[in-house]
Order: sequence, then C-alpha cells, then structure tokens
Amino acid sequence: MARKPEDYRTDLWVDWCPGCGNFGILTALSQAFAELGLEPEKTVVVAGIGCSGKIWQYFRVNGVHVLHGRPIPFATGIKLANPELTVIAIGGDGDLLGIGAGHFVALGRRNVDITVIMHNNQVYGLTKGQASPTLPYGVKTKALPAPNIQDMINPIALAIASGYTFVARAYAMDTRGLKEVVKKAIEHKGAAFVDVLQPCVTYNDIYTVQFYRKALYKLEEDPSWDPVVKSPEEDIEKKTQAFIKSHEWGSRIPIGIFYVNPLKPTYEERLKERIPTYLEMPPAKQKIAVDGGRPILTVKDLVEVFGDRVVYRRKKVN
Amino acid sequence: MLKICAECAETNDIGDRVVGLGDGEKLVEEPTLNEAYIVIGGPQGSGLETSAQVLTVIFASHGYGVIANREYHSNIIGRHSYVAMTVNSVKTPRYFNYPFHVAAFMDAESVFVHYGDVVEDSILVYDKGLDNVNIDSVISMRSDTKERLLHEYREQGIDPTVKGVTKYLASSKGVQVVGLDYKNTLSILREKFSVPPALARRYVSSIIVGAVVGSFGIASEDIIREGFKYRFRGREKVVESNTYIASLVAKEVMSQVKTYKLQEGRAIDEFSFVVSGNDAVAIGKVVGGVRFQSYYPITPAQDESFYLEDHMRMTTSRGDLGGIIVFQTEDEIAAIGAALGAALTGTRAATATSGPGFDLMVESISWAYEAEVPVVITLYQRGGPSTGMPTRGSQEDLFAALFSGHGTTPRIVLASGDHEEAFYDAIKAQNLADKYQLPVIHLLDKFVANAIVTLQPPDLNSVVIERGKIITSYDKPEPYKRFSLSDGPISEFAPLGVKNAISWYTGLEHNEYGLVSEDPETRMKMVEKRVSKFLLADKEIPEEGERAVLLPEGIDVSDVELLMVGWGSVKGVAVEATERLRGQGIKAAYLHIRYFAPFPTRYVSTVISNVRKAGGLVVDVEHNELGQAAKVIEMNTGIVVDKFILKYTGRPIYLNELIEAAKKIMKEKISKVVLKYGA
Repeated sequence: MARKPEDYRTDLWVDWCPGCGNFGILTALSQAFAELGLEPEKTVVVAGIGCSGKIWQYFRVNGVHVLHGRPIPFATGIKLANPELTVIAIGGDGDLLGIGAGHFVALGRRNVDITVIMHNNQVYGLTKGQASPTLPYGVKTKALPAPNIQDMINPIALAIASGYTFVARAYAMDTRGLKEVVKKAIEHKGAAFVDVLQPCVTYNDIYTVQFYRKALYKLEEDPSWDPVVKSPEEDIEKKTQAFIKSHEWGSRIPIGIFYVNPLKPTYEERLKERIPTYLEMPPAKQKIAVDGGRPILTVKDLVEVFGDRVVYRRKKVN
Repeated sequence: MLKICAECAETNDIGDRVVGLGDGEKLVEEPTLNEAYIVIGGPQGSGLETSAQVLTVIFASHGYGVIANREYHSNIIGRHSYVAMTVNSVKTPRYFNYPFHVAAFMDAESVFVHYGDVVEDSILVYDKGLDNVNIDSVISMRSDTKERLLHEYREQGIDPTVKGVTKYLASSKGVQVVGLDYKNTLSILREKFSVPPALARRYVSSIIVGAVVGSFGIASEDIIREGFKYRFRGREKVVESNTYIASLVAKEVMSQVKTYKLQEGRAIDEFSFVVSGNDAVAIGKVVGGVRFQSYYPITPAQDESFYLEDHMRMTTSRGDLGGIIVFQTEDEIAAIGAALGAALTGTRAATATSGPGFDLMVESISWAYEAEVPVVITLYQRGGPSTGMPTRGSQEDLFAALFSGHGTTPRIVLASGDHEEAFYDAIKAQNLADKYQLPVIHLLDKFVANAIVTLQPPDLNSVVIERGKIITSYDKPEPYKRFSLSDGPISEFAPLGVKNAISWYTGLEHNEYGLVSEDPETRMKMVEKRVSKFLLADKEIPEEGERAVLLPEGIDVSDVELLMVGWGSVKGVAVEATERLRGQGIKAAYLHIRYFAPFPTRYVSTVISNVRKAGGLVVDVEHNELGQAAKVIEMNTGIVVDKFILKYTGRPIYLNELIEAAKKIMKEKISKVVLKYGA
C-alpha cells in the first residue's frame, strides 16, 4: 500500500508564523518521503534548534531533536551504527553554519550517506531576528539595530570545498522543485546538502517572497548545465563551474543542482574496507551476548584479538 | 639458566620481607628481594618507553608482577621523562616506592633530577661520556627546576656537573655508581652488526635494559631476548643486536656491583595481559559489547581509542565476531553527539576524553539525561584547571563529573582504582547505562591510564551483559511510547529502526511519546520519572563491597586506629600502606569509594561513624588540593572529614611518603599533610 504525504505527518498543530517558508519545506519533505516510499521506522529526521528545529515533531517518522548546531554529529552516529536507516539532518543557517560549522565541514570530508537540509532565512528567527551567517554584509533586516557588520558565508561554495558529493539549492515556496531536489539528495549515496531559501515573513524584510520571485532562476533552464561528475578527471572542472555559479547572489540567484559526484566512496564503504562484515553486521545488529548475558567473547578470543598484549610465562626449567 | 632467581629455590618465606622501609632511607639487606623499585630516565623520543616495555616483558615472562608508570612532559622529543617500576615476585603491585634499588639513565638531566631517588646500596648506571656536562648547559630543563636543584646542590656541597653529582652519590651516599661510556658501547654495533653510527643512538634503550637486568644478576641473552622479541616482533636482526648490547651491558654492570637477587617470580601462572589502564578499558569495552566509540584526540585518553582503532575487526579462529567502529571526530562535541546517535540505534556506544574535552561534552550530557539515552563517557583525569598539566595526573574532575550540566541531571559516576577495576567497570558502566537509561561517567586518573601492568586474565564467567528494558520488536496495537509511564520509571527502549515503533527524542520537556509538552503535570511526572530512575539505581546497587569497599577485607570496623578514605588510583598505594602499617602494629584500614553517584551514603556513614566511635582517625587521601571526595562525603552523609593527605604535584603518591604522612598525622594532631615526592 503506497503511503501518501499525510501518512508522514503527525496531527500536531504547526506553530510557525503564518506564511513562513518552513511550511513549504514540511510539505515538500512529506511528499518526497511518500514518493520515495520511505519506511517511517527506518527513517530518522535529526533536527537542531530554532524555528527549523521544530520540524521533527511534525513528521510521523523517527525524530531526534538535538542541541543547537549538533544535528550532523548525532545523524552521523545514527547512520554509522545502523547504515540501513535513511538519515536526514535538518538545521537552520545559524545551526549549520554558525554554531555547527565545524560539523558541517567535517561531514563533507567523510561523505557519510546523510542528507542535510538547511533552512536558510538569513536570520535567527526564534530569538527575534539577529543576523545569521548567511546574511550579506551591509544588509539591514528589520530587527537589526544597524546593517550587518559581518560577511556572509557562501553555503554552496563551502559545501563543495568541504567535500559534499551532492550540492543543491532550492526554494521553500517552490515545493515541487524542492521535493524533486530532496528526493535526489536522499537517493544520492553520500553526503548531500540542500540549501533551502526560506523567507522569514516576520524578521526578514529583504529576502522576501517578492524578492525571490524576481531573482531566482533554475540552473536546469540552461540545457548545457551538467553538474554530474562522470569520471574522476572531470571533478575539478565540475566543482569549479559550481563554485563560480555559487557566487551569483544579488538580482539573479540560481537554484537547482550545483554539483554531484557519485564516484567518491562513502564513509560506510571506507569502513567496509576495514571491516568487511560492516554492512551486514553493523554495530546496531551485532550480537554482543550469548546464553542469557555471557559476553560473546571468551578469554580465548581475547588472547587472539588482543594478542599483542599477551605475555606468556616461560616454562620453568625444573 | 634462570639466573633471575639464582638463590631462591629454597626460599619460601616471603611474607614479611619488606624492602626499603626499615630505617627510612636505607634499602634493607635481604638475601633475596620479593620486591624491587626501579627508575629509568631519558629524553622523550629516545626509546625510554621501549626500555620500559622490554623490561616489563622480561619480568612478566618470568612470572613477576609489574607496574610501570611513565612521567613525561607534553612534548614529543627532548624533554625529560622517566619510568618508575615496581617488580614483585608474588603479586602484581599497584604502587611505586622509593628509594630505588636501581636507577639507569640515558642523559645528564636524569642524573641531575633523580639524584635524590637513590641511597646506600642503590645501583646507578649512567653515561660516563656526560661527566663534564654542567646543569647550566642542559637546555631541556626549565629555569625553575634548575634553580631549585642548584640550591639543593649548594647546600650539600655538590658540584653541579654529572661527575660532581655521581661522585657525591658514590662517596657520601654509598650508592653503587656505574659509569659506562655509552658511545664506546654502541660502537660495537658497527663492527658486529654493521649498524651505521647515525642509528646507533637508538640502542641506548638496550643499554638501559642491560643496566637494569644486570643489577639483578641477569645477563643471559636467552632471558633478555624475550623482551626484545615482544617489542620488535619478527624483526630478528634488530632483536639480536639489541639483545647483544643489553647482555653486554648487563655483564659489565654485574662485574662492578653487588647485585640484587629477586625471589622466583610466582605472580603469574600461564600468561598475563601487559596493559595500560587505557588498554584495560578498551578491552573491557569490547567484552562489554561496545561497538561504537567516538573520540577526539586528547591526553591521556587517546590511547584507549587508538588501541581500539587498531583492533576494529574481531576475527578469531572460530570466525568473525564483528567489529567496533572507532570514529575520530572533529571535536569532543561531535564525539559525544555521535556516541548518542549510535546509542539511539541500540548500539552500545561510548566516548573517551579528559577534562577539557569533557567540558565540551557537558551540554550533551544534559541532553542525554533529558532524552534518557544510555551512553558511557570515560573520563581520564589529568592536571587542571584549563590545559593545566596535560600529561600529569590528578583527581580534580570529581566535581565536574558529578555536577556538570544544566538542569537536574543526576547521573551515575563510578571511579576505578586499578587496572582490574578499570576492565570490569568498563563493562559495568555499559550495563548501568542500559539499565537506567542515562549517561554514566567512568572516572579514571592518569596514574591508572598510563601505567602499564601485568593483568591476570579476566574471569569472564562473572561477567553478565545486562541490557535492561531494550526491546527488539514491538507489536502492541497502540502506538509506541518511548517514555511510557505505565511500568515504573524506566520505559521500554525500542531502538531506532524497530518495526512499528516510531520514536521521538528531544532535549525539550516531553510527553510519553517524546513529543514536546510544557503541561505542568506532565512536567512534574517526567521530572519525577527521571529522578526516580536514579533513586532506583541507589536502591538496587549494593553499597557494601560494590559502591564502597573496606580493605583489608573482613576487618573489624570498631578496631581501626587509622581509616584512610580515597578513590581512584589512591587504592593501590593506600592498600599497600595499610598492610605495611598493620605490619608495624598500626591498625590501619582503607575505605575505597567506587561510586560517587549514587553515593554509598549509608555504608560510608556507618564505617566512618564506627571508626570514630572507637576513637579511630579518619583521613581523606586524594590527588587534589580541595579534598573533593571529602566534600562529596559531607554532602551526602553530613559527616565532615577534616584530616587530609593530599598531593597535587601531578605525580603519583609513593608508598613511603604515604606511610610517613599517615604516621605524622596520627602523631602530631595536624589536619593536613601535603605530599610532593617525585621529579
């Protein structure tokens, strides 16, 4: 029986501000889950703190609501311990690129098969509108006492430089486009990043729906745009074209898939090289006790596994 | 062939042969020793650890119990390090002592720094080629250390050169000084084994090995080879050349001194594990079923994770037993986060760190408590505060382990006193985390973590893996409630991925499903649920013998003159001090605290009260300047312990200084003795 998007939703009242871009993300993700036919029990949404960090409770899949900035470490632990789970880490721009920026970079280096969805509204909404790491220098959104004194991070460029193997940008109000990108991100084997432009109706009076309606264009409109790396030699070229595109931020802002590299081994595959049984017997599936609680390892096993620490008593001469 | 025990065949009387105690500063002469104290020193990166390992294996393979503690700076090459060893013929010792029977040094700094560690009849082997080195020219020494030593030398009329110091030791102190020309000794390598001169310095470690074994009358290549074979597995040429040099040096030393004789080694039967405390915890974790360990490198915790990383795959002759994922993260925040994530899948997960890293993990500990996630944090204490003394020991993080984290978060905190405890506690910590679904902090100190000992094979028949209320399937008609209140404070735990059991976790207050709630009554119930789990642990975990242990076993509490109370690495030295004080007619005992939460309130109260009622003295012994354990005792029992023996130099408490301090505090009615032995 095919599941419908509403099957992936709880019946809780969604308490974002009316008109918030987050509604579009919630809708698109539910649709993507349904179209991919994800099993709710095998799906885990890990969320951070902030307005975006409320989303986990609205899904009828496993939800793990963690600390500010930490969705990626938790998601990584979940995925590595049980790689058969589909793990989606969700955070805001402050969560992923401010307090959690170190983790954001580290996931790229590892290429763990996790999808990272970033709600990018350029402000700290739940604390009433401070500037986030994605707000450009000199821009004054309405709650700021003065124009932003810090430069913005370019999330797409950072993701590419960090080693993410799927990098895309989507728009929260274009739920169909967002859904399609999210589906591809989840299906991608490796670390996937989707930068979701999400208007904040309450605190961001610059990057509004009206602004985005004029500025956004789709990368795929250019028939020659091909973000996929097809051989290792192509990698730098594809990264470079994506990097250049990522700097378009102003009156024209591209959305769509910037870069995909399906060739790089995932962290799980790298682990399998060290432990050949890893995928069949990941940590979560290993038996650790027998006969009502005896450890699976015997002293004899210890002597074999930790033989480098064993010193035998020499036979006595007499 | 076994010269290691030439004259001990007839000797069975070993019970009261005490070395190094009789009259303070003199090594008591015995026909054979049952215990010996050794110190070896040299610059970091020069093979001192190799010497220590080879010596440990030589002794262990002949049935001796060994403990070796390395003291070192936060440095890779050049600064002074030394290893203090205790070798015992009938048991594995858990303490260090001075004066040393044997001292063997690689460099001038060791001679300068350790001149006070040797006494009459001690054997000191050093490099004669360094005779003219003046303390001023030793660039690796910091000025405060130099000034302190120069002041001592002036007072005793010692010329501040290697020659001056060794001459003083030989003529004024009766030390058996052996000056060898290391360079000449090593030149033999070129002729005999065609080792190029540039590589010859690497063999200084075998000079040290030879100096030590020679001091005990051992020069047999057959015996010495055992140690080098272990160290340089499969590299036969290296084994042979090192063995040759060590044997040569041993013979030379034997010809120059009156050697010590050790009784036959009977501490080890068939085999032992020669492990550090880090190794013991690592192996314990694997036995206990930890299959995910995350970490960020930090001294002195990293060796545990690094050792596990070297044993990720568990393949034995009976097949593949799985593997442990060791995950090196970008920081400690990620380390605890990843461990918590793994724990949510039902995997036994842990992380290991030390003070500064632990501080970074604290926010997540509070989360784990709120979300009821079983996780173990192995916390290796080092000298603080801040970066403090990264490579030195302390017991300063007790308060941090107990009270860190915002909100009401009573967690389980247990502390290991030695390598055996560290092994079994690593398993126990996982059981407790699973049973009570909360974070467990396993405290160790550097003196256990980095000391290498001979560890008897564990008794795995006594080990049980207890996973509490974890479930692997869920088929009830109603939706799964991760935080169900229907069956006591502990709810069924269906890991992520279990069919029909969707679960929600949050650091926010939540209802039975794990969904956010700020309802006042739900809040009360959930707060009480979490606290009740802790109270249940307090009810279920036995106090006497488990959470606190009174040693020696079976003594009458009302017949104790001196009760030392301590925890962690204090155990080894306090137990031995207790025994020796009893040997001297002082009715001493040691109360070893193993759990600080839930605290063994009733038992500790009873013991302390009864000792006091009978007129006994209660003294807190710890490695911090505040008496943190005493404060925790006071907090829990209302009893004020106001006598202290404390040490906070970053070096371990030595046996003789503890015995002397104990006698002093009994005799002089003073409230505190601060210890400071050790370079």
